[in-house]
Amino acid sequence: MNIVTARAALALATWILCVTPGRSQVSYDRIRNAAQEPQNWLTYSGDYNGWRYSRLDQISPANAGKLAVGWAFQSASLGQFETTPLVIDGVLYGTGQDNRAFALDARTGRAIWRYQRRLPDKVEACCGMVNRGFAALGETLFMATLDAHVVALDRKTGNVIWDVEAADYRQSYVFTVAPLVVKDKIIVGVAGGEYGVRGFIDAYYAATGKRAWRFYTVPGPGEPGHDTWTGNSWKTGGAPAWITGSYDPELNLIFWPTGNPSPSNNGGERKGDNLYSSSMLALDADTGELKWHYQFTPHDLHDYDATQIPVLLDAPWQGRPRKLLLQANRNGFLYVLDRTSGEFLSAKPFFSGLTWAKGIGVDGRPVVAPGSEPTAEGTRTCPGALGATNWFSPSYSPQTGWLYVAVAEECDVFTSAPQKYHEGHDFIGSVYVQASGEQPSGALRAFDPLTGEKKWEFKYFSPPNGGCLSTAGGVVFAGDSDGNFTAFDARSGKDLWHIQLGAAIYSSPMTYLLDGRQYVVIPAGAALFAFVLPGR
Amino acid sequence: MRFLIGLACVVTCAAVALGQAQEQKNPLTGDPTAIQEGASLFRANCSPCHGLNASGGGRGPDLRSGRWVHGSSDAAIFRTISQGVPGTEMPANSFEDSETWALVAYLRSVSAGTKPVAGDAAKGEKYFLGAGKCSVCHMVKGRGGWLGPDLTRVGAARSVSYLIDSLREPNKDLSLGMTDPNNHYVYPLEYETVTVVTKEGQRIVGVAKNEDTFSLQLLGQDQNLHLFLKKDLREVRHERRSLMPAYPQAVLDNAELQNLLAYLTGLRGEQQ
Repeated sequence: MNIVTARAALALATWILCVTPGRSQVSYDRIRNAAQEPQNWLTYSGDYNGWRYSRLDQISPANAGKLAVGWAFQSASLGQFETTPLVIDGVLYGTGQDNRAFALDARTGRAIWRYQRRLPDKVEACCGMVNRGFAALGETLFMATLDAHVVALDRKTGNVIWDVEAADYRQSYVFTVAPLVVKDKIIVGVAGGEYGVRGFIDAYYAATGKRAWRFYTVPGPGEPGHDTWTGNSWKTGGAPAWITGSYDPELNLIFWPTGNPSPSNNGGERKGDNLYSSSMLALDADTGELKWHYQFTPHDLHDYDATQIPVLLDAPWQGRPRKLLLQANRNGFLYVLDRTSGEFLSAKPFFSGLTWAKGIGVDGRPVVAPGSEPTAEGTRTCPGALGATNWFSPSYSPQTGWLYVAVAEECDVFTSAPQKYHEGHDFIGSVYVQASGEQPSGALRAFDPLTGEKKWEFKYFSPPNGGCLSTAGGVVFAGDSDGNFTAFDARSGKDLWHIQLGAAIYSSPMTYLLDGRQYVVIPAGAALFAFVLPGR
Repeated sequence: MRFLIGLACVVTCAAVALGQAQEQKNPLTGDPTAIQEGASLFRANCSPCHGLNASGGGRGPDLRSGRWVHGSSDAAIFRTISQGVPGTEMPANSFEDSETWALVAYLRSVSAGTKPVAGDAAKGEKYFLGAGKCSVCHMVKGRGGWLGPDLTRVGAARSVSYLIDSLREPNKDLSLGMTDPNNHYVYPLEYETVTVVTKEGQRIVGVAKNEDTFSLQLLGQDQNLHLFLKKDLREVRHERRSLMPAYPQAVLDNAELQNLLAYLTGLRGEQQ
C-alpha cells in the first residue's frame, strides 16, 4: 500500500467512523416507531401515544418478587427528582434538579458526563427546582431549563450545541417540561401559573435553535377567546403548559394540555371562561395553528390544571372506530374526547368524594356545585388543590386494555382574597389548607377507560406524587410518596414486590433492555435506581 | 491575605448593615395599601402555620397578641420574617424588602397588644407535674414522658386559644408530628391515636411516629417503640382522636386553667 492509498484508506475510515449515520442516530422515524424497539426509551412517555407502556416481558408476576437493585446513581441535591430518563443504545440520559443533567453507562450507572446550566440568583419555580427530562433527535439532546432557556447538548459529551432564551425568568417564566420532538422541531411549554405569566407553547428547529412558532395559551386582543377574560386579566392569565404533550402523526396534531388561570384561587378580576386555561389544545405540528380546544374546567378556581398526559387510543366508540383521546384530569373526571374533532364523548368520576361539580353535562361543560367557590373564610372542596391526580404519568396497557392512574383522595379548604399582581411574584389569590380532621390517602387504580369502570385498586397510605409504567410482562410499576417502589400484577392489582427507597417518589418509571436483561428505573430523593432480576 | 481582608470586610459590612437594619423603622407603617398587600402576602405565605388573620394555627403562634418573642422593633420583626428563627419551625423567607415591610405593616395593624395571661405560673407548674399528670406524656426541658409533643417552648410556638383547645377539646385540632423535608406535598403526620391488633390478637394503642403502606412505627402507651410490618397485623385503626385526655371544667376549673396557661405560655425554650 503506497502512501496515497494509505491516506485515502485512512480518510475513508475516518469518514465512516465520524460521518456515517450509525445506529445511534435517533431519527424522527425511530421515535414514531419507538414501541418497536423496547430495548430503548426514546421519548418522555415512551411513545407518541402517551401510553408509558413497554413491550418488554422479562419481568413478570412470576418473577417480580426477585427484583433487586442493579445500580444506583446519585445526582446532586435531595428533593423532587422528577426525570424520566431516555435510554439510547446502552446510554441513559437524565436531567436533575437545579438545571443539572447527566449521561450514564446504562449497564453500570457510571457517569459519562455531567452538565449544569448555572442558575441565576433568583429563579421562582412554584413547586421545586425540577426538570422532567430530555428529548433526543439525531446526535443531540434537548433540555428546557428553569431559567427559561432551551439548550441542545451533544449526546457523547454534554457539550452545548446551542442555547436560546425563550422568555424572561425574572418574570417567573420557567421550564420544567421534558420537550417533545416532532419531525425537525422541539416542542416545549412554559410553567409559571402561580406567578401570573401568559402561557405559551413553543417550537424550535432542532438544527439551529431558531423558533419556528409560538402559540399563546391566553389569546390576545382580537384573537378568538380573548373575550373570555375581563379587563387586562389576560396579560397575567397563566394557563401554563408544563407537561409533555402527545402526538398523532396521521393527523399531524400535537395534543398539549394547559394549567390553571392566574390567580388560581380568585376569579374576581378574570370573569369568564378564561380560555385556554385548564384545557386540551390540538395544534398543527408544523405551524402551531389551533385546530380545536376543549376546556375541562372553565373559570377554574381550584388550581385544577389539566396538565395530565393525554393518552391516545384508537378504539370503537359506540360501534364505530374512532381516534380517541383519554385524560384522567386533576378535577377528578376521566374524559374521553374524539381527537380528530375535539368532540366531548364522556366524563366519569375516578375520585371517590368529588364535590366541586355534580357531573359533566352532555355539552361537555361541568355542572358546577353551588357554593363550591373559594371564599374569604374558606370552602371545603374535593378534590383538593393537588387534584385527584396530577402531572405524573398514567399508563395504558394494550394487553389488559386498562388505564392505570395514581389517585390522591384528599380535600382542601380553599380560601380566596384579592391580590395585586407584582411581576415575578406569587400570584395565587390566597391559599388552601388541608380539611381539618380528615386523613388524606391515595390509591393506584385500574380502569376500563371507555366505560370508566374501576377494575382494581391498591390503597396507598399517603396521596401519591408518582406515576406508573405498564409492561407486556403483565406488570405495573409505580412509586409512592412514602418512598416505596412497587410492582403490581396488571390484572389483579396484587403487590408482587416493593422496596423502600428512603425518599418520596416524584416521578414515573421507565424500562429498557441491555445485555438481555430488563431494567426498571425510578428516581427517589437524590438517587436514580435501576432494578433488574438477579443472576441472568 | 486577600482572604483575610475580604473576611474583615464581610464582618464589618455585615455589622454595619445589621446596625442599620436594627435602627430602621418601617417606612410603610399605617399605609393602607401596604397593609392590604401585607394581608394578601400573609394569607398566601404565612397563614398555613399562623392561621388566617394571624390568629394562630397548629404550628405558629397568634401574632395579634403584641408579644414578640424574637424582638418587637420593626427591624426585629423584619429580621424574623426574612431570616427565620433557628431551632424553630419558622423558616427564612425571600420576600423583597418592600414586601417584608408590608407584612410588618399588616402585623402591626392586627396586633392590638394583649395582657400576659393572668394566673399563678408556679401553681400551674405544680399541677403540670403533679395532679394534672401532664408530664407523664409531655417533656419540658428534658423532664417528662415521650408520648406527646415536647412542650419546652410551647409558649412561644402556640397561641393561647390553641392551648385552651388542646386542654379542653384535644380532638379539635390534632398536633402535627414529624415533617419529611423531602416530602413537599404530603401533610405531616399527626398525633393521632392508632390501635393495632396483631395476628396473635395482641392489642397495642399508641401514637404513630411514622407510617406507610407497608409498615408502622408506633410509640405505644407503654412509652416503648413498636415496629410493625402491616402484613403481620390483623388490623390498624386510625381513630382520628388524640391520646391526650380532655380536661373539662369538672377536672380543671377556670382558675386552675389560668394557672396552667400562665405556666405554659411562660415556656419559651430559654436555656437554664
